[in-house]
Order: sequence, then C-alpha cells, then structure tokens
Amino acid sequence: MAVRAEEPAQAGSGSRADPVGHRRGAASMTHAAGITGLYTILGFLTVLVLAPLWWIGANSFTTRETVWANVLPFSWRALLPQEFSLAGYRGIFEDGFGRAMSNTAALGFVTVVLTIAVCAPAGFAFARFAFRGKNVLWVLVLASLMVPYEATVIPAYTLIDRLGWLNSWQALIVPAIANGTAMFLFRQFFSEIPQDLLDAGRVDGASWMRILGGIVLPLSKPVLVTCSILVFLGQWNSFFWPMLVAPAEEYRVVQVAVSVLGVSQELRYWDRLFAASTLAAVVPLVLVLPLQRFYVGSIVGSGVKG
Amino acid sequence: MVRTERFTPYLFLLPALALLLVWRYVPLVTGLRESFYTNALSFTGTKEYVGLDNFRRLFDDPVFWKSVRVTFLFNAIVTPLQTVLALLLALLVNQKLRGMSAFRTILLLPVAISINVTALAWGLALDTNYGLVNGILEALGLGRQPFLRSADQALWTMVGIVSWIGVPFWTLFYLAGLQSISPEIREAARIDGANRFQIFRQITVPLLQRVTLFVVVSDTVINFTLFIPPYLLTRGGPQESTNLMMYEAWQRGFTYSDLGSSSAMALLLLVVMMAVVGLEFLLFRPRH
Repeated sequence: MAVRAEEPAQAGSGSRADPVGHRRGAASMTHAAGITGLYTILGFLTVLVLAPLWWIGANSFTTRETVWANVLPFSWRALLPQEFSLAGYRGIFEDGFGRAMSNTAALGFVTVVLTIAVCAPAGFAFARFAFRGKNVLWVLVLASLMVPYEATVIPAYTLIDRLGWLNSWQALIVPAIANGTAMFLFRQFFSEIPQDLLDAGRVDGASWMRILGGIVLPLSKPVLVTCSILVFLGQWNSFFWPMLVAPAEEYRVVQVAVSVLGVSQELRYWDRLFAASTLAAVVPLVLVLPLQRFYVGSIVGSGVKG
Repeated sequence: MVRTERFTPYLFLLPALALLLVWRYVPLVTGLRESFYTNALSFTGTKEYVGLDNFRRLFDDPVFWKSVRVTFLFNAIVTPLQTVLALLLALLVNQKLRGMSAFRTILLLPVAISINVTALAWGLALDTNYGLVNGILEALGLGRQPFLRSADQALWTMVGIVSWIGVPFWTLFYLAGLQSISPEIREAARIDGANRFQIFRQITVPLLQRVTLFVVVSDTVINFTLFIPPYLLTRGGPQESTNLMMYEAWQRGFTYSDLGSSSAMALLLLVVMMAVVGLEFLLFRPRH
C-alpha cells in the first residue's frame, strides 16, 4: 500500500517520469489501475469514518422503539430514521442536557482565556529572554507532557478534596490552566517574531507586558486559534476528571451527561443516548471543520515537522 | 531598568510554572508517598506506613499480573499499528488527486470526536445481538461475531475502536511533516534513478524521523494510561481480557477504596511507561 500511495506522485509528472517511450502504454494502464485503487481505498475509509457518525445522527431522529429495526436482519433502512421523532432531543433537554451544554461551553471559554493569559507570557519568556535556569524549567514543562494526568489522577483527586473543591467550577478549571502543549506552541511561534518589532516597543518605553499584549499577541492569531481550539476541545471532550471531581448534577458536563445515558440503559432510552451523542459530536465538528487547514498549518510551524 | 529586565522572565513564568508544579508534579510526589501507606479510605481516614507492603500485595495478585500482560499486549499492538497506518493515511491524503481536499477533511473528522462518544457508538454498533456491524456481517454471509463480549476478541476490538480516533489524529502530524519536505529532494532522487519504494524508504521515512519519534512517544503515553474504553465498554472483562492497568488502578482506588495499592499500581504503570518511552527515544531518535 505504501508503494501504491506513492504512485500518483510519479504519475502526476506524466511523460517526464517515463523516459522509455515504448513502455508508455503499459505505464498509463498501471497509472489508471493505481488511481482506481486509490479511490477504492479512499471510498472504503470514508465509509469507515462517516458510517458511525451518520448512524448516530440518523438514530437520534427516530423513536426509541424503532432504533434497532432493520439491523438484524440487516436492511439499508437501518441507516435512516424509521419513524421521524424528536422525542430523544426533547427527552434530554427536559433532563438537563441544555444545562450540561452551556456549562461545558462556559467552562471551555473560561479555560481558554485563562490558559492564554497564563501560558502566553510563559511561552514569551522562554522564547525571548535569556535567564538562569531556563533549560531546567523548560525540561519541567516538556516532561509534564510525558506524565499523563490519568497516572496522577488519584493524588490529584485527594488534593482537590483537601482544598474542599469537590463539586466546584475551580476543580474543573484550575488544574487545566497550565498547559504544556500551549506553552510549547506559544514558544515556537513567539521565537519567530522579528526582534525589530520588540525593540521598537522598548524604545517607546512600553513594559514587556504591554509589548506582549499590544504588539505580539495581535500578530499571533494562528497560534491563538490553535491553542483556543485545543483547550476548548480538551474541555468539551473531557470526561474522566469531571466524572471524578464534579459528579453533582449542577456541574455536569456534556461527556459525563452522555455517558450517564450510555451506562444506565435499563430504561432503554436509546433515542436519548443517540441525541446526546450527536450533540456532543456536532459542536467539536463544527469548530474543527472550518479550521482544519489552519490547524495542520500551525502544527507544521510547531517544530514537529521533519 | 536592568533590574526589571532580570526579573521579568521569572514574573512571566511564575503563574504557569506554579500551576504546573501544584497540579502536575505535586500529585506525582504525593502519589509516590501514598504507595507506601495504607488505610481503608485515606481521603478522610488515618494513614499507616506499610513500606513495600502495597507492592508486595500487588506482586502476589494474579489479577495484577493479568492486567500487566493485557496492558503490554494492547500497547505492543496499538502503537505500531496506529503509527504505520497514520503514515500511510498521510501519504494517501497528501496525493494530488481530484477531490482529495474533501477526502482529507472527511478522513480527519474523528479527531474532533471524544473518546467516550466513539466508544459508546462503536460499542453499540458492535453489539453481539443487535449491533449494526453484525447486521452487515450476517447480510454478507460472514456470521455474527461476539466482539466485546468474547475474551478472545474484546482487546482487539478495543484496539480498533481507539484507532478510529488515533490513526487520523497522528495523521495530522505526519501530514504536517510531509508538507514540510521539499519536492525537490524526491525529484533529485528520482533523477538519480531511485524507484518509488527506495524514495519512500530512504528519503521520506528518514526525513519524518522526528515526527515518528513524537508520534510513537505520545501514542505510548496516551495508551499506557488508557481508561475510558474499558470503563465504558467492558469493565475490564470478559475474564479480565481488557483489564488495562489504569482501569485496574482506578478500580482499586475508587471501587475497593484501597488507595495504597491503587497508588502503587499507578506508580508502577508510570515507571514502566517511562522505561518504554526511554527505549523509544533510543530507537527512533533522528540520526541525521
């Protein structure tokens, strides 16, 4: 497959890549076969990605009695709503899902703002200042990326408990603010801003904080967008931590609300589970779709490139 | 002036590093400490120093060893599989082909979906008795499969489910890496008579070494501490076949209120993960 995937690169350069004239006919036949092969693979993968998303969406618009109709034995009608109904959506909103969504959106927004306020200055210091202990501190930041929070989740829970923060907003926000990835991205981006711009600010007598806020950040939209998406998606999709430290209904976030429906299916409200899953998936999709190119672009700029 | 210059970087770093210390490094140290203590529920109760007793209890427990084996097996499959598939997918969607930008957008969509929506959706789709996949398999005459309800298939099914997000996610990084390789390098090799496979093997792959290192290490970090799929889908079963160490550690702490052995297990998991990551740094470090 590796070889096949490389094919059109050569095919793209056409006759130039085929110096032996009499073999041209055979080459273009392999070329055509290669292209058909590529589209077959692309088609298969597209189905693999879209089918589950489509299935969740379609099932969210059907009645709970008909969710499993036509699955076994299978008919294509299983992929369409059997009896159109909004009962699933009505059910979850009566049950507080709207609140979970607004909770999570607000939580995401606040975390984004605080993360930028805390991590951008840190990234700037690492990018633009020489100071004692810089390397050690940078290793501390990078090493935090190697320690997944899951591994320390139990002592972190104990810490939240000791602070009396169980079931509180700060339990969901404060531990998420210092973000190693965000600091890394800010450092990479800030180190490429021309020194002249900073010097101009210094000559005018601006403080470093004013230079960062007034000159550097307005030039940093790509990294700000990437970090915002990263942090917002992190909060929107987080599940384990909120389930542990803020299980009360008042603080319920989207993913916890979905999973509560998912694991307590005694009542068989399948339509609700599908409706909640659809909404939980739609928001990040809507966010990521228009910004995907942007996102890849800033990863290219982030130093993981080859 | 000079004075402010000297303190400015530290002031800029202070909030971030203080938070990092309190929320990432302090729990690491208290977790270490916790693994030498015992009590019923230490969140409120009293502590008693027990030395290595928590570790000894783990080592005497076949459930622990089964969990270690499952974790290693899972990781030995999932990281190489996702890395290779991500590279291939990146090569594929990097081709200049009509309609490719639409395919690229679609194939990278799972990146945005949360692991628990993914787990729930695939869990239902793969259900033995009413799942969509079994419906299709039966229609194709291939017969139903138990998937997550069979001790033989559950772990493999879980590998597949997490790869539905994992492969596109790592593809993002390979794609970024591929786009930073200048076409002239390949062109030069082609003029020198290298065939496609040689170019791939001797130019593309070595130039992507840094991405590969990043992907392999990050994937290892994520999957050694994977928790949500066993929690939502299998509760570690059937017959502990999906009892990944992070799930077992959580169960010991939160289900059996045995914080000592839970912390000891999390610590061992971290040490093992670090060892694997260290090995990966040696194996995959860029050589140019």
